[in-house]
Amino acid sequence: MQPGSVSLFMSNVETIPGKTITRSFGLVTGSTVRSKHFGKDLFAGLKNIVGGELRQYTELLNESRNEALQRMMTQAQSMGANGIVNIRFATSSVAAGASELFCYGTAVFVE
Amino acid sequence: MSETLIAMAWIIGPLAVTLLFPFTSWALGRWYQNRIMNVLLEKEKLEGASLQNENHLSTASTTALMSAQASALLHVSICVGPSIGQIFFMWFKSLFGGRLQSYDFVLEYGRREVLLRLREQAKSLGCTSIHNVRLETSVISSARNQDSKRASVEFLAFATGLIQ
Repeated sequence: MQPGSVSLFMSNVETIPGKTITRSFGLVTGSTVRSKHFGKDLFAGLKNIVGGELRQYTELLNESRNEALQRMMTQAQSMGANGIVNIRFATSSVAAGASELFCYGTAVFVE
Repeated sequence: MSETLIAMAWIIGPLAVTLLFPFTSWALGRWYQNRIMNVLLEKEKLEGASLQNENHLSTASTTALMSAQASALLHVSICVGPSIGQIFFMWFKSLFGGRLQSYDFVLEYGRREVLLRLREQAKSLGCTSIHNVRLETSVISSARNQDSKRASVEFLAFATGLIQ
């Protein structure tokens, strides 16, 4: 159900629905900086003749965001948590052609 | 005679292609974007017809959370951009200001498409309702220079899906 190998209870609300939070571990973060593959960039450039969705970029960003989530989940698990609540995502352009995908949340233990 | 014609064609041909490119790209962009918008409208109509719960997308974080059995984090993103020709003509338009229609159109498309995909993802995970929807927008620049004409916009939607 969740991307990758680590599986935790995750939500972007204050609780995990259907569960009770018993302990809080504090902030966990995950980030990744990705730049575009030259070939993919070329194809996206061709797609720009008509505009609309740039599928190559969509895929790349999804992949990277899953990786950022994965890092956050690994961090939470190493703390001994089994869930993350209040997850937020942020994207920023750090350099030309590179974006940072960042996510953060609160690691908790739920029952 | 024919040799001079061929020579003329070799000179005028590339020149015409270069000069007409913005127009072609603009027209192709208009046509293509109208088409994908129509596809989206059809899908939205279908989605609306199959809808059980009217309150299926919500930005509130408290309603209906207590009765849920399980939940899942949903996140979808999409990258969209106008065509090169549209950007070229937008530059002229922005001399006078006013509504930039082609940008409007593409951004509206992206935002509606991302919400539709969020609903699709929720359905595939077996969620019955979606809560605490958040929408974010960011600019993804081209690889070679920061204010290139090929900047695209990324829409991200994330939410909590409830399984009742």
